[in-house]
Amino acid sequence: MTRTITVTRAWGSAVEGRALVMREGFSPRYDLDRWTGVISRIGHSSEGESIKDRILIIPTSKGGVAGGWAFYDLLHKGIAPRGMVFGKLNPVMVQGAVLAGMPIMEGWQENALDLIGNGRLVRLDPAAKTISLLD
Amino acid sequence: MMSNLSAMDAGTMTLDEEEQAMLRGDKGPAVQEAIQFQIQVGNFFEARRFVRITHAHVMGDIEVMGDGGLQHLRRMGEQHATCSVPTSSNAQCMHFHADPKLRQDEAEMAKENDILARYQGMRIATTDSCIPYQNVYQPKFGEHVAWGDTGTVIYANSVLGARTNFEAGKSSFAASLTGRTPEYGFHLASARRGTLSVQLQAKMVDCADWGALGKIVGHPHQDYFAVPVIEGCDRMPMSDDLKHLGASLASYGSMAMFHLVGVTPEAPTAQAAFGGRAPTDTMVVTDADIQAVYDAYRYREDGASIVVFSGPQLSLYEMQRLSELFDGRQVAPGMSAVVTTNHMVYSDAQRLGYAGILERAGVTILQGVCFYILQRLSKIREENGWTNLISNSGKLVNTITAHRFNTVLRRTADCVDIACTGELR
Repeated sequence: MTRTITVTRAWGSAVEGRALVMREGFSPRYDLDRWTGVISRIGHSSEGESIKDRILIIPTSKGGVAGGWAFYDLLHKGIAPRGMVFGKLNPVMVQGAVLAGMPIMEGWQENALDLIGNGRLVRLDPAAKTISLLD
Repeated sequence: MMSNLSAMDAGTMTLDEEEQAMLRGDKGPAVQEAIQFQIQVGNFFEARRFVRITHAHVMGDIEVMGDGGLQHLRRMGEQHATCSVPTSSNAQCMHFHADPKLRQDEAEMAKENDILARYQGMRIATTDSCIPYQNVYQPKFGEHVAWGDTGTVIYANSVLGARTNFEAGKSSFAASLTGRTPEYGFHLASARRGTLSVQLQAKMVDCADWGALGKIVGHPHQDYFAVPVIEGCDRMPMSDDLKHLGASLASYGSMAMFHLVGVTPEAPTAQAAFGGRAPTDTMVVTDADIQAVYDAYRYREDGASIVVFSGPQLSLYEMQRLSELFDGRQVAPGMSAVVTTNHMVYSDAQRLGYAGILERAGVTILQGVCFYILQRLSKIREENGWTNLISNSGKLVNTITAHRFNTVLRRTADCVDIACTGELR
């Protein structure tokens, strides 16, 4: 049986992709090289990994307003993630995701960081507010 | 725009007649697209209605918008998008300065000029300022605004008692066009009550101390809806102190509000600030804790160093103090020093002689930008061989890390000494 995790809030269309599980907060301004799509901040838990076509699983949103434009810009550059799931987020992430048409979720009952291994295939279903682990 | 709602469905939100007209397209496609966007965001947070705003502050430059964002802006222009409330613009990414150390891309400069011209066409006053609350517009207690820069938001909520969320990217533009914003988060009294108790026992002697406090409180509590209540401040802090505290809390903690008991308007007492809530955590911050923040930074031995006063832009009084500290001195060979401020402050700093003193000391003053958002910054760093970046801004030493600087926080006078002696201490 497919394992599913329920989330509190969600927006967007259903999407599948490989998870990129971060162990710390994420900001596209502080942590990401927005020209390559690679996590560039020295010492970030996902330093060196590309976010392209991944589903980002992130404990918290960090810092500022860059995400409001950045996800749309990443989409335009062809290096955007397919979706994002946050333990806790700020409105910037929602505003940026809606502009980019990128599914976004917040708040997991069970700790998704422990249940979803990095690189696993997952499906986000915002209408059902579920994350399914597919492999 | 993909969505959980159809284009004409308001979901959790109840719309008045004017808002329904906007959604139908009666006020043109730009307003229609704006309110559709706002309804999607409002529904995520289960907003029930819109609140009217008096002012918007928009954020966007070619570095963060990219060509995709610029295309979006151009389309808004073709749709005759016009701000319905007074609107200002945030710090931008292009300094237009001749300093060869800080060279930027000419093609991107042309795009940035296009962005600024389009802003002006939309009735946005291009103040290029991340400190509008110090010299552009100060919303009053209880006034709803839509501001698109975190440092401005936390200052408005905390110090002025105005009400705004982080309104990023298209969000503040949309609010500016419709003259309203979905009522969620810090527009609601319930979100503004304190959640976290901070007993301040440290003597705060410099704006960098306030930035350090923001790191101590913000970093372990990264949560937009966390609201620290700080007690024990033994003197009345200046606007610049609270600017650095707010910018740092917003940067490390993604926070949008704090209370300083006896200082900020919703905190006459700690009890009032918490509004009946029990704090989820209690912290004590001493002089030793502040010192430990400074001590934790390490210099790298390789490469050159730059001292930066930026993030947020400097006020006129910060420019005055810095000019006094640099007066009669010179930036040391091999060192670089940069200040950023907005056009309004620069103009007065020039008139009053502060800018001249700084420039004669070898300091580069950039207008209308903030250092960490400069276009082409990673390449500029590489070209100059900069490894260490020393600053008195708690925010800047955090936000600039994607460009792979090794950052060091120091008090203002120490930063000036480092710039003028080249001794990394």
